[in-house]
Amino acid sequence: MKKGFKLIMAGLLATSLLSACGNNKASEGAAAGTVKIEFFQNKSEAKASFDKLIAKFNEANPNIKVSQVNPPDAETVLKTRVAKKDIPDVVGLGATDTFSTLAKSGLFEDFSQDPLIANIQPAYLDMLKRMTGLTEINGIPFSTNANGVIYNKAIFKELNLTIPKTWDEFIAVAQKVKDSGKNAFYLTLKDAWTTLPAFNALESNVVGLDFFKERAQGTVTFKDTYREVAEKQLKLLDYAQKDMYGKGYNDGNTAFAKGESAMYLQGVWAIPEIQKANPDIDLGVFPFPGTNDPAKNKLVSGVDTLLTVAKSSKHKEEAKKFVDFLLQPDNVKQYISEQKSFSAVTGVTQDDASVADLKESLESGNLVDFADHYIPAAMKVETIFQDFMQKKDINAYLTKLDTEWDKVANRK
Amino acid sequence: MAKRRTAFYLMTIPALLLFFAFHTYPALQGIFYSFTNWDGFSSSYDFVGFKNFVNIFQDDNVINSYMFTFKYSIVVTIFINILSLMIALGLNSKIKFKNFFRGVYFLPNILSVLIVGFIFNYLFSNVFTVWGAKLGSEFLSQNILGNANWAWVGIVIVAVWQGIAFNTILYLAGLQTIPQDLYEASSLDGASRWREFWSITFPLLAPSFTINMVLAMKGALMVFDQVVALTGGGPGRSTQSIALLIYTGGFQGGEFAYQSANAVIYFIVIVVISVLQLKFLQKREMDL
Amino acid sequence: MMRKPTNWLLTVLIALGSLLILFPLYMTISIALKNSEEMAASIFALPTGLHFENFTRAIEATNFFNAFKNSAMVTAISVVVILLTNSLVAYAIARNMNMKFFKGLYFYFISAMFIPFQIIMLPVVKVTTDLHMNNVAGLIILYIVYGLAFNVFVYVGYIRSIPYELEEAANVDGASVWGTYWKIIFPLLAPINATIGILSCLSSWNDFMLPLILLGDQNSYTLPLVQYVFQGQFGTDFNLAFASYLLALSPMVVVYLFAQKWIINGITQGAIK
Repeated sequence: MKKGFKLIMAGLLATSLLSACGNNKASEGAAAGTVKIEFFQNKSEAKASFDKLIAKFNEANPNIKVSQVNPPDAETVLKTRVAKKDIPDVVGLGATDTFSTLAKSGLFEDFSQDPLIANIQPAYLDMLKRMTGLTEINGIPFSTNANGVIYNKAIFKELNLTIPKTWDEFIAVAQKVKDSGKNAFYLTLKDAWTTLPAFNALESNVVGLDFFKERAQGTVTFKDTYREVAEKQLKLLDYAQKDMYGKGYNDGNTAFAKGESAMYLQGVWAIPEIQKANPDIDLGVFPFPGTNDPAKNKLVSGVDTLLTVAKSSKHKEEAKKFVDFLLQPDNVKQYISEQKSFSAVTGVTQDDASVADLKESLESGNLVDFADHYIPAAMKVETIFQDFMQKKDINAYLTKLDTEWDKVANRK
Repeated sequence: MAKRRTAFYLMTIPALLLFFAFHTYPALQGIFYSFTNWDGFSSSYDFVGFKNFVNIFQDDNVINSYMFTFKYSIVVTIFINILSLMIALGLNSKIKFKNFFRGVYFLPNILSVLIVGFIFNYLFSNVFTVWGAKLGSEFLSQNILGNANWAWVGIVIVAVWQGIAFNTILYLAGLQTIPQDLYEASSLDGASRWREFWSITFPLLAPSFTINMVLAMKGALMVFDQVVALTGGGPGRSTQSIALLIYTGGFQGGEFAYQSANAVIYFIVIVVISVLQLKFLQKREMDL
Repeated sequence: MMRKPTNWLLTVLIALGSLLILFPLYMTISIALKNSEEMAASIFALPTGLHFENFTRAIEATNFFNAFKNSAMVTAISVVVILLTNSLVAYAIARNMNMKFFKGLYFYFISAMFIPFQIIMLPVVKVTTDLHMNNVAGLIILYIVYGLAFNVFVYVGYIRSIPYELEEAANVDGASVWGTYWKIIFPLLAPINATIGILSCLSSWNDFMLPLILLGDQNSYTLPLVQYVFQGQFGTDFNLAFASYLLALSPMVVVYLFAQKWIINGITQGAIK
C-alpha cells in the first residue's frame, strides 16, 4: 500500500519539477530586449483571427512582441484587473456597458485628436459618444456587427416568400411557414442572451434609444412605454419550435443549419457557426422589421470590437503602433472576412453573399445601436427577458424592469 | 523545555500568519466593504452604513436565490442520504462482485463536477428528451433545464448522481464497524430484516449519519459548479444559487460591496444552520 | 459458522443501479468516438468507426498537455506540502491543547470551515494580485493554507489517539521536537495521510472556482478551467467537446482504475477514525 502511494507521489513530483523547469526557460527566452505589449480582447471566436494578425505584426516589428490574452468572462476579468491597477496595454472590447463604465473612470487614452479616427465611419463614433456621454473618444471602432433575421433561402423559395419590410408582413411570413407545417423561428431560450437580438430590434425601432436617458432622469417608465415591445416579444413565441425553452445557442445553430426553421433571430456572428454545421446551406440576413413603417425599421448594428490603449501603459507608443496596424484596410479586410463581421473603417466592405441583403442599410447609415448596451450590466436584463418568455405576464414583466432599474440605480 | 516550546511555536506561527493573511484578512475586508458602495474597480468609494444590508432584504433576486439554495439543499441532502444508505446496505450484504460494484459507485466522486455538469447538460437536452418523446410524454420530451419551474430538479439529479458516491463510502465504513454478532443474535430471535435495520443498524450508524447529513448539506449550500455548467442560473433567475449570485453580481455586475454584504449575511446563515444541525443530530445520537 | 448464500436479488439490484452510474460515462465515451454523421444516425449506438481524430483535435484546440501539466503540478505540489505542513501544525496543536494559544489556534482554524468561500472570494482576488500571486504558485499556496481548516481538525483528532509514551521515550533520548515529529509521529500518520492526501488531491485537481477567479494568464489554466473556456469555442461540434471532456476526466480515472482499492480504503479509514 504505502509503496504504491510513494510511487505515485514520486511520479507526480517528478512531472511537476520537469514542467516547472520547462516554464522557466520559456519566460526567459521572451525577455530578451524587446518591448512586450499585452493585447486583451473579449471575443473567443476571434482569437485565431487576431493571432494571425499579431504574427504578421510581430514579424514586421521585431522589437515589439504582442501577446494576446483572451480569457473567458473577459469583461469580468478586465474589471478585476482594473481593480488591481494592472490594465493591459491594448484592449479590444465591444461597446458595452463595461466599456462605458471604464471609459468614464478615465482609464483609456483619448483619441478625439488622433488622425486614426478620420477613417472611421462617423455613425459608429457617434454611437460611442452617445453611449459614454463623454466628449472624449476613448476607443477606436474596429469591427462592427449586426442583428437581424437569418433566413433559409431554400425554404423561402419553396414557400414562395419574400423578405418582409414591415412587422405585419413579417408575421404574415411566419404564419405562412407555420401553416406549411414548418417552424418559422428556432428560438434558443435556454441561453438567456439569445433573447437580445429580437429585443434590440424592437426596442430601438419601436421605442428608441433616447428612452434610456429619459429613464435615468425619471421622466418615463418601462411600464408606460414598453407595452408594444413586450407584446411583440411574446408574439414571436407563437411561431417557434417545440421545446424552445430547452434549446441553447449551439442547438439553435445546428438546427437552423439542418433546415429545421425558416428564420433564426440572431446576429451575423452566428453565420460561421451555422456554416460549420452545414457548409452547403444557402442563407441570407435581413433587418428585423420592428414596426409597420419601413422607413423606421433601422438595422441594429453596433461596434463589435473597439480598440483602445490604457493611459497607464508603459509602452503607449508601441501600443498605438499596434492599434494603427490593426486598422490598416487590408488587415481589417482580412479580419472581417474571417469573422463575417463588418468594418468600422470606411471603404472596407464585407462582400460575403450571405450578408448582401444588409448592404443597403449599412451603406446608407440607416443604423441603430444595440439597445441592451444602454442597460446597466448589473440588471442582468437578459434573465428578465428569459423569465418573461416563460411566464408571459406583461404587467409583471414591465414592473420588474422598472423595479430592477431603480434598484441598481439606488445602489450607486 | 523552553527550546521545545519554541519549536512548537515555530511549527504553528507561519501557518497562523499565512492563514490570517489569506483567509481572515480577506474575510475582514469583505465585511469592511459591505458597508461601502465600492463597485470593485473604481479608485474611490463612500461609506453607506447599513444601506446594503437594508437593500438586500428588499431584493427579490437575493430572496429568490436563498429560496432556491435552501430548497435544493434540503432535497439533495435527503436524497443523497437515503440512496447512499440503501446502496451501502446493498454493498455490505452478501452479493457477487462486491469490490467491482463498490468501485463503480465511488467513481463519480473522482470526476470534475464542472465537466460532469457539461455532460449532463447535453444529455438533458439531446438524450433524455428523446426518451421522453418515445414514452409519449409531452413534459418529458422537453428539456427540463429549460423549464423555469423544474430546472432545479435537473440540478438535483446531477448533484445526487455525483454526491452519493462519497456518502456511500462513509456509510459503508460505518456499517463495517457494526459487530456481526449483534445480527446473529437477532436472527436467532427471528427478527425481520426491517426490524433488524431499525433496531440495530440505524442506531449504530448514528455517527455516520450525522457526518453525512452535515457534509451533504454543507456541499449543497455552496452549490456553484453544477449551476454554472447546467443552467447558468436560468431560466430567468430560477436556479441562481447564493454562491452564483455573489460571483456574478460581485464580479460582473459591479456590485462588489453589495454582494459583500450578501456574503456576510450568508455567512451568518451558514453558521446558524451548522450549529443547529450539529446540535440536533448529536442530541439524536445521545438519545439512541 | 455457516456462510450465508449469495443474495442474488440484491446483486441484480446493485448491478442495475450501477448501470445508472455508468450510463453517462458510456455516452461520453461513445460520443467522443463518433463523428457527426454517426451522431445523426443514432446518439445511443456504439460508434462504428472510432474517430480518434476528435481527440487529436481536442488536444490541439485546448492545448491539453499544457493544462494537464498545470493541473498535475498544482495538485502534486499542494498535496505533498499539505501532508508535510498541515500535519506538523496539527502535531504542535495536539500536543499543547492545555495551552491557551494552541487551543485558541485549534478553534481558529476549524471555525474557518464554517466561513463560506464566497465571503472571501472577492477580497482574496485583490490580496493575491497585490502580492503578484494570481498565478499557479498562488493557487498552490491558497490550497495549502485553506486546507488547514479541515486537515488540522482531522489530524489533531488522530494524533491525540497516539499514545504519548512513544514520544517521551524519544525525549529522554534527547531528540528534538522536530526529530520526534519526523521520526516517530509522521510515520505513524501514514493511514490518515492517505486519507488527507486523497481528499486534497481530488479537491485541488477538480477545483474550478479558485482557478477561475485567480488565474490570469491563459497558459496557466487548469483542466476544468480549460473546459469552461472552450465551452464557447466547441460550438456545435459536440463530438469535439466530448472528446475534450473525456481527455480532461481521464487522468484521474486512470489513476483510479489502478489504485481504486487503495483510494477507497484510504477514505474509509479516515471515516472510521
